[in-house]
Amino acid sequence: MTRALQATALVAVAGLFVLLVWRLTHQSHPPKIGGPAPAFTAKRLIGSGSIDLASLRGKPVVLNFFASWCEPCKAEAKVLEDAARQYGNRVVFLGVDYHDVTGDGRRFLSAHDITYPTVQDGSGMIGDRYGLTGVPETYFIDARGRLVGEHIKGTVAHQQHAFFDGIKAALKP
Amino acid sequence: MKLLAVLVAALVLAAPAAACTHPRTSLSYLEGQIMCPTCHTTLDQSDAPAAQRIKHFIAQRIDQCATAGQIKSELVANFGAAILAAPPHKGLDLLAWWLPIAGLLGGALLLAFGVWRWSRSRVPEPEPPLDPETDARVDEVLAEWE
Repeated sequence: MTRALQATALVAVAGLFVLLVWRLTHQSHPPKIGGPAPAFTAKRLIGSGSIDLASLRGKPVVLNFFASWCEPCKAEAKVLEDAARQYGNRVVFLGVDYHDVTGDGRRFLSAHDITYPTVQDGSGMIGDRYGLTGVPETYFIDARGRLVGEHIKGTVAHQQHAFFDGIKAALKP
Repeated sequence: MKLLAVLVAALVLAAPAAACTHPRTSLSYLEGQIMCPTCHTTLDQSDAPAAQRIKHFIAQRIDQCATAGQIKSELVANFGAAILAAPPHKGLDLLAWWLPIAGLLGGALLLAFGVWRWSRSRVPEPEPPLDPETDARVDEVLAEWE
């Protein structure tokens, strides 16, 4: 009986150890500049279907995390939309609606005349993969799917030099 | 005229409540069961902008006669299962409810078994016999008492 108890305790400790190792090895680390942009597929906020980041390979991508409840996001919406129109087909702008009520996100797009595609990230899973610290944040991805430039924390409306530098870095072959 | 206006206003305000075929749930009931996704506390403990938007959504759905279960399902569809403060009572999530109870029961059984074994292993040692001198003295004292 004592041996059975010892074996049970040993198995329990071994199980906890395996759990600890699994947790440590599966912790998300923020992506590095120059490294691959974390992959994701997410539902479109407007319309049906989803968007796979990998399907955009071959074009530079400006990835903007926002939420309807985020005040600074309202301030930068026009800058992003104007830039999306300015660069047209040369750069893909992709919005990620982070931790938001879907209806509120849709109203935000409508209120700010956002025409570029946007996906939902209600659970925050995409944001976690990018090591998001809050919204808004903007990342630049080159045509080969690598993160380039310095990602922008906070509104791009107040960091327009860095924003356009980021787009230029993404456009570099 | 004023009375009529008050009555009409009361009817208009009461109409949505009357339209519900079931008792309405309340924001205060749900606030403690839903997490704020950005601050990781329940909604009743948070004033974060995201929490405020979710509270607003819940209030709207309550006004539309949605049940607590419907509202929770919609929030899970929108934000994922982590929006719930407690895991649902179904599927693999049941483990989260039953494993701690099973662990406590198992621990209590192990403890009881250990105590039982320990008490049985403590057989009382036989007392050493009295030496003849003491034995005689005890007999004397007992005789005096009698």
